[in-house]
Amino acid sequence: MWARVEPLLVGVERPARYLDSEWGVRVRPDASYKVALVYPDTYELGMANQALAILYDILNRVDGVAAERCFVPWKDMAAAMRAAGVPLHTLETLVPLRECSLVGITLPHELTYTNVLETLDLAGIPLRSVDRAEQDPLVIAGGPCAFNPEPIAPFLDAVLVGEGEEAVLELVEADRAVLARGGSRADRLRALAGVPGVYVPSLYAPSEDASTVHGTGSVAPVDASVPAVVAKRALKDLGSARPPTCPVVPYMDVVHDRAVVEVLRGCTRGCRFCQAGMVYRPVRERSADDVVRDVMTTLRCTGHDEVSLVSLSTTDHSQIEEILRRLSRGLEGRAVSVSLPSLRVDAFGVEMARLVSGSGKKAGLTFAPEAGTQRLRDVINKNIDEDDLLSTVEHAFGAGWRRVKLYFMLGLPTETDNDIRGIGRLVHKVLEVARENTPKDQRGGLKIGISVATFVPKPHTPFQWEPQLTLDEVRRRQDILRESMPHRGVDLSWHDPDVSFLEGALARGGRGVADVIEHAWRSGCVFDAWTEEFSLRRWLAAFQAAGIDPVALASSERHATAPLPWDHIASGVSKRYLLRERQRAVAGLTTKDCSFDGCTGCDACDDLGLEIVLGGASRG
Amino acid sequence: MAERTTFRLRVRFGKLGRLRHLSHLEVMRALERSIRRADMPYAVTQGFSPHMKAAFGPALPVGTAGLREYYDLWLREFVPAPEALARLVAATPDGMAPGAVRYVSEKASSLSAALTIARYEVGVGPAVGSDELVRAMEDVLAETELTVQAKKGKTKVFDLASVLPEEPRVGSNKAGSMVVLTTRTGATGSLRPEALVGRALERAGLPHAITTVTRTDLLMEAEGVFTRPLE
Repeated sequence: MWARVEPLLVGVERPARYLDSEWGVRVRPDASYKVALVYPDTYELGMANQALAILYDILNRVDGVAAERCFVPWKDMAAAMRAAGVPLHTLETLVPLRECSLVGITLPHELTYTNVLETLDLAGIPLRSVDRAEQDPLVIAGGPCAFNPEPIAPFLDAVLVGEGEEAVLELVEADRAVLARGGSRADRLRALAGVPGVYVPSLYAPSEDASTVHGTGSVAPVDASVPAVVAKRALKDLGSARPPTCPVVPYMDVVHDRAVVEVLRGCTRGCRFCQAGMVYRPVRERSADDVVRDVMTTLRCTGHDEVSLVSLSTTDHSQIEEILRRLSRGLEGRAVSVSLPSLRVDAFGVEMARLVSGSGKKAGLTFAPEAGTQRLRDVINKNIDEDDLLSTVEHAFGAGWRRVKLYFMLGLPTETDNDIRGIGRLVHKVLEVARENTPKDQRGGLKIGISVATFVPKPHTPFQWEPQLTLDEVRRRQDILRESMPHRGVDLSWHDPDVSFLEGALARGGRGVADVIEHAWRSGCVFDAWTEEFSLRRWLAAFQAAGIDPVALASSERHATAPLPWDHIASGVSKRYLLRERQRAVAGLTTKDCSFDGCTGCDACDDLGLEIVLGGASRG
Repeated sequence: MAERTTFRLRVRFGKLGRLRHLSHLEVMRALERSIRRADMPYAVTQGFSPHMKAAFGPALPVGTAGLREYYDLWLREFVPAPEALARLVAATPDGMAPGAVRYVSEKASSLSAALTIARYEVGVGPAVGSDELVRAMEDVLAETELTVQAKKGKTKVFDLASVLPEEPRVGSNKAGSMVVLTTRTGATGSLRPEALVGRALERAGLPHAITTVTRTDLLMEAEGVFTRPLE
């Protein structure tokens, strides 16, 4: 196979994407059960995905199982492969995907959906589950989009909802048992449906209920043998999981090209727009000992010169200061750095950033106030105030940082023009504080980065019923924001509102949206997350062809009592809690962080049999 | 501040098999990672952004293999050469594995400046016969200059007598024939061997059948004598 692939590399961009043979690859030629782990984008994006690295490590420890990586070839390579009749294959032993027992695809965000179809097509696997034959592999997805799998469900044989460490082993074991006794494809699907956390779309049919917006219908089980609601999987305690400390080390310059150690899972700050904060509850910290040990092992095993301590909210770890002090001692004199992905908006956050930067270079600091007025920050439950932000900026510039980036969102529920101008007023103040705390001779080049995204309502959040701004309204509000910004000292950047619009339409769609995705892919949509590849025009044509109105899908308010396309998927957080949080939002009432201030009644712990774990010890 | 004593270890490595498709930057980063995995006591540069003190020989382009490539690594502590080699071999991907190491003088000139002579084998597929290739090379070498397209629409003109210190020759192997040639880096820069062979094929109206390019040796030149940097 390599002899057929290598000639294609001449003249394609970045051949290092297709080489394999990196340090740390696992090759298990004797395994009879082959799993292709697919990230539905290019190598350099996929190699940064921690879920894939975890599953690769876990599955390759199972006797008789080989897990191999597969990424979507860039357009030049895909064209070369099609022309040469080379099917999509894994990197390690170049097994065609269609010869694997299982193809596992992680779904990081909605803009990868057309790449899933591209993957299946390049592999020669029928796009739709219903068209697959006995010998075709099972196509199973997981990841953030599993919490509303409907838009992509017809292309999948099964969906694993939630954390995969334990579930993936049960799933593979169940499938191997069926295969061993010579069961059919239908038997395999039934067996998967019996694994907790696994949703098999073909065993659920669209409900009769006439949804008000076309494309937003819900589904129900075809018979009583499958659960009406599939509850997400989550580990009770991360201490029992063995994270991958010897992952594959890429040759090419991938995004986040560094070692990664997870320090905690979940976040209960309760930001009402944040899907991750709702669906990955409760907070489970790893102990300082485990984190420090894994950092040292991972660095030794990979040779990386940087390690990132990742989670949804790393500086919230109850032992973060101890962890960083121990690491800075342990890594002294080796030119190895530690990085933190996001910072709390307070002096402690800056202090932690100072601990990891030492006297060396100070990369920029990033903070997320999200909204410009206290009123709106209360609505979204972003529990920081203006003084927090200004004193954080004062600390950061006082400690020597010269670059700060602030994230805001446009179009949050209840937002008024005054809230938008509030972003401008806040940035004026931030700039002033930054100047005051910068030596005179360095003030000239002072810049504050401002990044503005359009709010996209996501399933399983208190804002899941809210309308998304229409494109015209986004542009009107952008103009207000632009006018309110300081003229100098600000680098203003926007997420493309067209992209956010599509993301919104796909995120809360039902099964009917699958037709849109297929039309879009057939009309040439791939790599939609790449700015230069994205075409709203093609997508709008696809919606039209499928007879679905994307504006109604994204921008109508959903009725609180109407069924939702993701009602059969449970994140553990109850609809009751989401509705209560929505009411509190409208009333401007905030809700505290349950990891530190007592239970707020989201029901995740009770429903899933879990509890908060701080410092590696259950809080009881 | 007084410079701490360091030990300069010269390492010979390869860029073989699939790894020939890597860029110079990718090779450097991979080797630096292998040095850290080997837990070598590497020296760190002083300054704002400290990093491992290592220096590499001349770059190999994407697609070109190398049999004898070199880097220098400065160590804080002396590690006996055989032990250093064993540790590096154990921590480096096969296609780049070190083949030899030796400590060299701190005064030795840098690899990038010293390694001006390079030997190459340019493989040519069976679409071009060995005799045709011989004639094509003779014809191109009969010219005194070679003009090559460089970046940004510019051209480079190489004086063949100066950049080809030895007469290229044509050999053959299982996969077809090959041109064996030696280049010298001069004021115009380095001549890519496939540019010369490609021009020869083009002039002769033959298909562009270059299959592989391998740098087989990197040498230092002193008073007309070529020597390897590690022997």
